[in-house]
Amino acid sequence: MAEPLLTLDNGTTCSSWNFSGTRLATGSAIGTLSIFDFRDPASSSSLRCTFKSGVHDGNIVKVVWVPPEYGDAVACILADGTVSLWEEVAEDSQPLQWKMCKSFGSSSSKVLDVQFGMSLTSLKMVAACSDGHVRVHELLDPLELKNWQLQAEFQNVIESGSAFGKALCLSASISWKPHNGQCQESSFVLGFNSNTSELNSSKVWEFDQAHQRWLPVAELARPEGKGDQVYAVAWAPNIGRPHETIAVATHKGLAIWHIGMNPDPDGRLPVERVALLSGHEGEVWQMEWDMSGMTLATTGHDGMVRLWQSNLNGVWHQQAAFESKS
Amino acid sequence: MPGVASDSGDGRSEVSVSSNGALVPISTEARNSIVVYPLHHGLEPPIARLAISWSRGNSLRVSVFRPPSVEGSGESEGQVGGKVVEVKLSDGDPEISDAQWRRIAYGSVSPFALLQSRRSAISSLSWGSASTSPYHLDWWEYVMEYSKDISSLLSGPKLPSNPIIEDSKTIFKKGEEPTSLKAAWELMELFYADKQSQAWLPERLVDWLADYDSLFSSTLATTHSKLVDFQNVLVNLQVIEDNPKYWEVMSSALAVGWLDIVVKMLRLHGSYQLDQLSNREIENGLVEAVAVLVSKMPRLRPESAAGQLGDCLKSKPDFIKAWEKWRSQITKLDCSAFWIQCNNHQTREGLKNMLQIMLGNTESLCTATCNWIELFISHFLYIRPFTMGVDSMYILAQKCIQLKPVSSAHRLTGLMIGILGENTEVVLAECSREYGPWMVAHAIELLTAGSEHAEILLHEERHNLGGISIVELHRLVYAQVLSSHALTWQIAPIYLTSCMKQGMGLLEILLYKQPVQHNEMLLKNIEICRLYDLYHVSSNIMKVAGVYHWKHGRIGSGVFWLQQAQDAIRLHKIAQQLFDSVGKSISDESFKQWEGLIELLGSESKTAGGLEFLRKYRDFKKSLQRVPGEKSIDAAREAVQSLILLMKNPSTPQRFWLPLLYDSLKLLNWQDQDHPLLNVSETNLLLNKLQELSLARLRPDFIEPSLPPNALSSVRLALATNLGRAMLDE
Amino acid sequence: MAVTALSERPEIHRLPQYKYVDAVRWLPASSAFDRFAALALFDSDSGACSIEIHSFQPNPVTLSPHSSWVSPSRVFSLKTSQFRQKPIIVASTFAGSLHFLFSDPADASLESEVSVPENPLHSGTISCIDLMDGGVECVTVGEDGRINLVAIGDSNVTPRRVFDSSGLVSYTAAKWASPMEFATGGYGFSLQWWDQRKPGGPASQFKGNWPQKMTPGIVHSIDIHPSRKHTCLAGGPLGTVFAWDLRWQQQPIILSGGGAGAGNTSIQSISESEVWEVLYDPYVKHSTTSSRILPSMICSEDGILAVLEQGGDPIELLAEPCAINSFDIDRHYPSDVICSLEWEAIAILSRQ
Repeated sequence: MAEPLLTLDNGTTCSSWNFSGTRLATGSAIGTLSIFDFRDPASSSSLRCTFKSGVHDGNIVKVVWVPPEYGDAVACILADGTVSLWEEVAEDSQPLQWKMCKSFGSSSSKVLDVQFGMSLTSLKMVAACSDGHVRVHELLDPLELKNWQLQAEFQNVIESGSAFGKALCLSASISWKPHNGQCQESSFVLGFNSNTSELNSSKVWEFDQAHQRWLPVAELARPEGKGDQVYAVAWAPNIGRPHETIAVATHKGLAIWHIGMNPDPDGRLPVERVALLSGHEGEVWQMEWDMSGMTLATTGHDGMVRLWQSNLNGVWHQQAAFESKS
Repeated sequence: MPGVASDSGDGRSEVSVSSNGALVPISTEARNSIVVYPLHHGLEPPIARLAISWSRGNSLRVSVFRPPSVEGSGESEGQVGGKVVEVKLSDGDPEISDAQWRRIAYGSVSPFALLQSRRSAISSLSWGSASTSPYHLDWWEYVMEYSKDISSLLSGPKLPSNPIIEDSKTIFKKGEEPTSLKAAWELMELFYADKQSQAWLPERLVDWLADYDSLFSSTLATTHSKLVDFQNVLVNLQVIEDNPKYWEVMSSALAVGWLDIVVKMLRLHGSYQLDQLSNREIENGLVEAVAVLVSKMPRLRPESAAGQLGDCLKSKPDFIKAWEKWRSQITKLDCSAFWIQCNNHQTREGLKNMLQIMLGNTESLCTATCNWIELFISHFLYIRPFTMGVDSMYILAQKCIQLKPVSSAHRLTGLMIGILGENTEVVLAECSREYGPWMVAHAIELLTAGSEHAEILLHEERHNLGGISIVELHRLVYAQVLSSHALTWQIAPIYLTSCMKQGMGLLEILLYKQPVQHNEMLLKNIEICRLYDLYHVSSNIMKVAGVYHWKHGRIGSGVFWLQQAQDAIRLHKIAQQLFDSVGKSISDESFKQWEGLIELLGSESKTAGGLEFLRKYRDFKKSLQRVPGEKSIDAAREAVQSLILLMKNPSTPQRFWLPLLYDSLKLLNWQDQDHPLLNVSETNLLLNKLQELSLARLRPDFIEPSLPPNALSSVRLALATNLGRAMLDE
Repeated sequence: MAVTALSERPEIHRLPQYKYVDAVRWLPASSAFDRFAALALFDSDSGACSIEIHSFQPNPVTLSPHSSWVSPSRVFSLKTSQFRQKPIIVASTFAGSLHFLFSDPADASLESEVSVPENPLHSGTISCIDLMDGGVECVTVGEDGRINLVAIGDSNVTPRRVFDSSGLVSYTAAKWASPMEFATGGYGFSLQWWDQRKPGGPASQFKGNWPQKMTPGIVHSIDIHPSRKHTCLAGGPLGTVFAWDLRWQQQPIILSGGGAGAGNTSIQSISESEVWEVLYDPYVKHSTTSSRILPSMICSEDGILAVLEQGGDPIELLAEPCAINSFDIDRHYPSDVICSLEWEAIAILSRQ
């Protein structure tokens, strides 16, 4: 039942599928970026490599696709904490090729995770950095992935006054609210795995159009768990449920949160933890919701892939698990 | 398409567990012990990391990475670094191939859509009444039509008739290979949808078992398998009635009511042979008497299938009368003195046993039948031949299971118990677990037609499901399975649009996730958007397509799709880039290349994002080209009009002002006649533009056109001269 | 919509293939007893692509696999013709390769194959190909804006570039009009007329004055009748079928759709969606002296197969619940039509 699609080169460290699941990008420990395409549409076999090139000296730790409205492009996050943006273009009647169009980096901190989100007018890239800062970059020209400007920078804390200078973050996880075609304000959820407990807990950030600033509208942690280091977050697609659903993985397990739609007078959204599930022992590497937001797939340090669902009574449980076998 | 390789475990206890409902068809046997499936990828350990990604619908792609092997560490060169595998979480019914499943999926679209449109037609007719239930006098007839259409899809391949055994000895034959799926469907049809035959339900069950008894052979002993075995040895038998199997098989067939087979077998009895008739008269008479009784058995049913034996009676009083008579005939024969004169022991005992079966002797029935279902069915035939309520059927079934316990349950029996137990949740759970989301999504129509209770239960909106009903949930799940395959995703919208609450949300995501690279597929996508008024989705899809083509060097296609998407922002940016290359090339003779694109832009300005300038520019250039000599004053006037229009138009980019004027020098310096081509106001307009241009040149972002250095001054001079002449002229 | 139903319904046979049918064509018949059809198939379970020749028996209707050729990629465009008395099949693929299959005239078994690999002709998919009558030359057009002619020899083929728009214009349809002329179609209902004696660009371009409300779309298919080579028949979105008469440059002759719903009562739209293929229908009797557009047949995304006649009501032959992606009328037996259905099936119609 597991159908092999592709064999990866030695040293491959990360992979990512594009929005339609038709292209795969992989990064390697020696800085190679590879792109694989299906030869025929509607085929689920015959993946072939259409681009392969060393693009950096360092280790590519994560590859993230840019939304398709902005072309075929990926962001490569490197172990040294820089991010480079690569785009497939045919310019001036030259053949199609992948070109680097932008590099992000700073000497003071490393980028741990980036994710792209679309707002009404533009493309935004959220970068979570090792100093606990969140930087939101905005694309200026929808057809040019070269031109970005820093739109906002803030720390992942609820109280805006406090600042934590000496934070050291090991990893971060960002998940945008999946856009469903309708015009809406942009939101994302972000959690850190750091030595500073205030930064850790997952917070939902929403862009306040009127004042052109990002506001924390919800914190996804119980009072006793606010300092828990967050391994991964995932915002579920909402196909019409009266609440949003977000999964948060910490060392205590996998929490499923419901977030209400109507803010209270302070502008905070009501939140409810509907499940705390245990399964993966240790770190959770990745969480992915299916297209309906009904099934959550997770993978973690135990080398398992686990699937989680809610039953007819609304009780969340582990539905199945897959053990990696040679 | 139940989940991953499910093993029907030990029966009842797990039914109640899964009746809690798995949302997506991944079977779990029990809540506490999670089933762990192996994920074979063929890599040697150690494994450094896994990455997951949902593909179409519910297939999950898993990347497995090995730790990088250090160069020169002696490990083999070019070692595999990892694998990518795809896990389909909705594997089909193992009985049915993927291609066959797709055929069923395609075929069920029309019946399903027809039923839904009838439902909405009825509910719009009866909107005044508070009930949303589609109950209507004829509703079940619609459901039956639907059920028959679906059932016809589920037929297995036709079996060739077997000519090896000569006809007289072929005791049974089948037209098609029965499938468990069809058996399950028909079982639900006769309990829930077919209101007309409710009165003859037991007889319908007898027929059902006759069609599908062979399916149980995989896990249980069956009369069918006994018959098959006997058929195989039949040709080699010399004296058939001496073989105990003959009698055993016959009584089994009689017990489950396969009267024609029994009569056919009885006629194989040796006493019928011409050379035997004389000395076996009595024996033959007894055999024939039993055969006649068997073929005259009264049946409470409207009519029998073609060629079947038995006396069919529609009304219950008639039937009871006939039944009493028939039974008295059997009793009479049973007590007859002829038995003593029959000296064939086998025949005597065998026939007597058959009489006991017909008299409803529980012990005989229990011995003759092979499993509890057969025993259950035999009760309807010989013990309680009158219509019976479903609740008493349930009690009877439990009794039969006690009498003939099973070691391993068959997938159909779980469903049957659920149906008899009138437990809608169990029935749904069994359908889901054993036959997958297709079955649930379609059979739910039968269930809701079955009773008002089920209708309410299944259509009730539930908070725990995020505000949707069970019906909607299962349609969503099925649509997701359809989405998993590139060829079936297109029919998912039929099911999604029948979902009141969340279907459209899922449809939008589904459409958004389709690739846009190929026009045919893109257009099929857009067609679905058009059908369901999802214009914001199609506009987004076209935008993605436009950007894709533009970035891949197909300018015309890119502009076309962005125009269709009415994406003014991107078109404007494209216009700026195109003007750059136009400035370079269009004054050359490469016009022909641009021609097609300019035609494509059309004359509509609203969606072209400033690109309509290209068309006007082309028209101007053309009219200018038609002014070669000094004689064509009309052409020159036309060119001047184009120039003025262009200069007046706000969409004409500033950077083109000077090149336009420079190109028009011969118009400005027109000397052929006494009158200049431009009048005072026209000249002033152009001079103003020139003035504006000199101010703009001071700005840092000004792009200097590549023109001779004296271009500006010669234009200025020409305009000044022209102004002077025009003033004199007026 | 007043769609005339045929007085005698054609006999319809639907034959499930259990594979996606990318395209379907009749092979030129060599005798009345041996009739063959070429099917371009895609097996989604294995990912295998092939062109299969099936022998066709009219009574009872059966299609049985006869010979097959494995294609390196899915077939995008498929055409058949005759070349030196041999049936020839030409296929272009999604990947951009072009394949010529020569078959035996007697039993239609495949004898030889000549291919042009992916990149020299077009970058990306070849969107349409057409074979000249007699099969000597094949025109290929692509989204990349290139137009090539491929001359066919006995054991080799020679391609040459006719035009390259460098992506400024994309072409989606092509059809020969004469050994020297052919027509192409593309985005925005554009049609171009090419004459090999006038190289460097299209000899003529169609600039239709379309109704304002109408959305211009992509031309999916063109047909030109040998007896009236000045008229191009084209099919596009929203059921639009129109003819372009070279002698009347500006005005399209709309046969179906084209905003017909919006106020224009004289022309009906037989379909609401993409018209994938148009062919002149030699079966329908038509006065040869009439100046009207000859009768034609179309298939569409909304499952319609219909015959159109200028000034008459369209005649619906099939209304399927799924798309009809391509069809072909047997040149020698024009009563027989073969079509490929979206739901992995073939339909064969026999008109009485």
